[in-house]
Amino acid sequence: MQTLTAPHSVVETEAHGHHDPHHHQSFFRTYIWSHDHKMIAKQYLVCSLFFLLVGGALALGVRYKLAFPDSAVPLLQYLLPSSMVVDGVIQPGMYNMLLTMHATIMVFFVVMPLLVGVFGNYLIPLQIGAPDMAFPFYNALSFWLWVFSGFLMIYSFFVPGGAAAGGWTSYAPLSTTAAYNGTQMGQSLWGIAIFINGLASIAGAANYITTVVNMRAPGMTMFRLPLAVWSLFITSILLLLAIPVLGAAAALLFMDLNMGTHFFAGSNGGDPLLWQHLFWFFGHPEVYILMLPAMGLVSEMMPVFARKPIFGYRAMVYAMAAIGILGFIVWGHHMFVSGMNLTLSAAFSLSTMVIAVPSAIKTFNWLGTVWKGSIRFETPMLFALAFVSMFVIGGLSGIFMASTPVDLFVHHTYFIVAHIHYVLFGGSMFGIFGAIYFWFPKMFGRMMNDTWGKIHFVLMFVFFNLTFFPMHNLGLGGMMRRIADPTQYEHLRPLQPINIFVTISAICLGFSTIPFLINFFYSMYKGPQAPVNPWESNTLEWTLPSPVTLHGNFEKTPTVYNGPYEYSVPGMESDHLPQNMPPKPGARIAAH
Amino acid sequence: MKRSFRPAWLLLACFLLLAMVPAASAAIRDTSLWWLPEVVTKGGEKIDHLFYLIFWLTFAVFVLTQSVFLYFIVKYRRKRGVSAHYSHGNNRLEIIWTTLPALIFIVLGVYSNRLWNRELRAPAPADSLRIDIVAYQYGWHIRNPGRDGKLGEFSQANLSKDNWFGLADGDADGNDDFQTEGVLTIPVGRNVNIILRSLDVIHAFYVPVFRMYQDTVPGREINWVWFEATKTGNFELACSQLCGSGHYNMKAKINIVTQEEYDKFVAEKSKAALMQKLQKNAAALPPPPVDAPPAAVAAK
Repeated sequence: MQTLTAPHSVVETEAHGHHDPHHHQSFFRTYIWSHDHKMIAKQYLVCSLFFLLVGGALALGVRYKLAFPDSAVPLLQYLLPSSMVVDGVIQPGMYNMLLTMHATIMVFFVVMPLLVGVFGNYLIPLQIGAPDMAFPFYNALSFWLWVFSGFLMIYSFFVPGGAAAGGWTSYAPLSTTAAYNGTQMGQSLWGIAIFINGLASIAGAANYITTVVNMRAPGMTMFRLPLAVWSLFITSILLLLAIPVLGAAAALLFMDLNMGTHFFAGSNGGDPLLWQHLFWFFGHPEVYILMLPAMGLVSEMMPVFARKPIFGYRAMVYAMAAIGILGFIVWGHHMFVSGMNLTLSAAFSLSTMVIAVPSAIKTFNWLGTVWKGSIRFETPMLFALAFVSMFVIGGLSGIFMASTPVDLFVHHTYFIVAHIHYVLFGGSMFGIFGAIYFWFPKMFGRMMNDTWGKIHFVLMFVFFNLTFFPMHNLGLGGMMRRIADPTQYEHLRPLQPINIFVTISAICLGFSTIPFLINFFYSMYKGPQAPVNPWESNTLEWTLPSPVTLHGNFEKTPTVYNGPYEYSVPGMESDHLPQNMPPKPGARIAAH
Repeated sequence: MKRSFRPAWLLLACFLLLAMVPAASAAIRDTSLWWLPEVVTKGGEKIDHLFYLIFWLTFAVFVLTQSVFLYFIVKYRRKRGVSAHYSHGNNRLEIIWTTLPALIFIVLGVYSNRLWNRELRAPAPADSLRIDIVAYQYGWHIRNPGRDGKLGEFSQANLSKDNWFGLADGDADGNDDFQTEGVLTIPVGRNVNIILRSLDVIHAFYVPVFRMYQDTVPGREINWVWFEATKTGNFELACSQLCGSGHYNMKAKINIVTQEEYDKFVAEKSKAALMQKLQKNAAALPPPPVDAPPAAVAAK
């Protein structure tokens, strides 16, 4: 591993350096069709935040219907056709579209692009000391394919029949038979958009893997890589192996829906469970695709604000690798009660229990990182700390489902909804918000306001928990997922006050993004100028000016002497030691 | 220094608030409004035991990790003149916190799967009362065996909305079976084996008071759902797999009755089903020739 450093990365930087600096490019080449990984990251960031608002609005529609199933949503009747909304009341078919598109957009157009698109693009070349991605053209192509798939996804709301309404999991034969779902065009567009989105992901993943393997600066051995890069590297491998399966499944879905094939039909040799196996073979690695980079980003922020090396660097890397491998053999735990062979369920249950171990290891190592630290509580750190705490809750609730008998009861209830949001929102999204506050100065050259950041954090933290924690109780009370109107059921009527409480909290949670958005866009133009290294961090991007303007990043390829987390090294004046600075003779650096 | 102090307390308050939630949940359990509903099957009781085991286990881990985390966050906040401890980790600790959770998880996994394989999902006992259910968009069609205790043979090829259970012509076992729309009636204290099928898309048989969930899959017969009800009463069966625009209201009633009531119910319904079948057959017969004596028809 130590010898993998690419010798030719120096040459490439120089080649870039000849034609790029001070070379003025057109508006189109700078902001629209840019090959610069930093600009592509920013493009992803702004677009993903737009999708975050769309996805959030859809979620509020879902919550509104659940709390007040017969009341009109204000103004909605003027916006949507009567097939979806009657006198402002969301119809059950529309409700199914809302929940389907909320999940689809949040997974494929918010969390994935924010983690992999934004931070993958921005951090990988900067943190490994490379001039750009290995394939810059490919990178731009990947971004625009993603935008196109997002456009198709949103457009599907406006086709006859409306958007896909079979859940983001799109279980066949509901999703593959027009007579059953009534949304043939919307569902077909869903399949096409997912397929194109997959192409974008595959292109990105191949690019990242190549870049990490071949373009590390001299001295940047694999075990000197920042954990963010490690996590994105492992995630890219998962993407490369899992996404093609989803693409194939989406293509077959499209054929079943439009060409009369029966791949997923209950008759004529098809099998509805085939869809579930294909979908979850992608879907479970996907869960870790949505999680691992957030873990990496948090592992990046915690040492900086604790002024302490990350606890157990290698254990963190091995744990992520273990998650990556085990992630491919646990997909069946989504199918314990699907009609799959029951012996298989037992096997998947065991592998699921085992995959909880590396997550536990990571949690303990984060605890070890704050232990005996000197913790500063700037906004990014608050989000990083909350990430750990929320991830613990999400991880623990997962154990209930991993146990097959308990899954018999909690399967497809709000308990699952609570679990998934603790991991994906309390986990990934908190990590993402922290990372945005953390890298904003480097991206845009200005600081975000820390006080407003803290206000954003507190509001989001409180309302997040008020929204999602009671969902555990709803689920245990027997409330099913994906039902438009819980008051139809006698056993759910006593739970309705909780539903109303959750909805009000969710609306407040939605509003808690406003301080963030204002802070984000205001600071982009009016924030105070950011210093080169505002957080006194060690990784290579903080040795470059803020913002990094040079296409090609480094004037001269850096040489790396240290691991990424040498904070508070005994015998040194400064409490941080940048990776490209040779340690002074008195420094007592320990091996990690 | 004071500036870094305040957020720490704010964070502490947030976490304390959070820690109270499970405690409050535990208190609310007595009213059983925000907690598990009652359980009315023997298997369900076993699931509840396991549930509580995992609940207390995870609750302990939750309290332990969060309080240690919080303690560290507050204790090791930045202080003037105190620098962080330089440490890259500790291999012995890594080994401990790898093996310990691994052992707990594996024991829990093995224990869960024994319960699953031996009791919850073992083949239904031979003396079980078999009841057929066909789920469709959007409802439940249910068939109980008649007085002979046998169900007519199901055939996938014959399945349609006119022939819910795919009966072949002249199936004698099926004559006294009776069908209901959206009402499942079963006796208490007896093993009941539910055979699940679907006409169109995937639905799910979900009964919270049974602690029971099972998908129905078109083209497949799911025969491993069985349970013994422990009390009588009226409950609800819900579809819990998104199955289309009518999904939200796809439900059925469940009546659990005593064996005597059930016998009486079967006697009535079964007789009615037989009569109906005879009438239908009589209507379907070709009209007797005009010159034939009535006795010939009767003999037939």
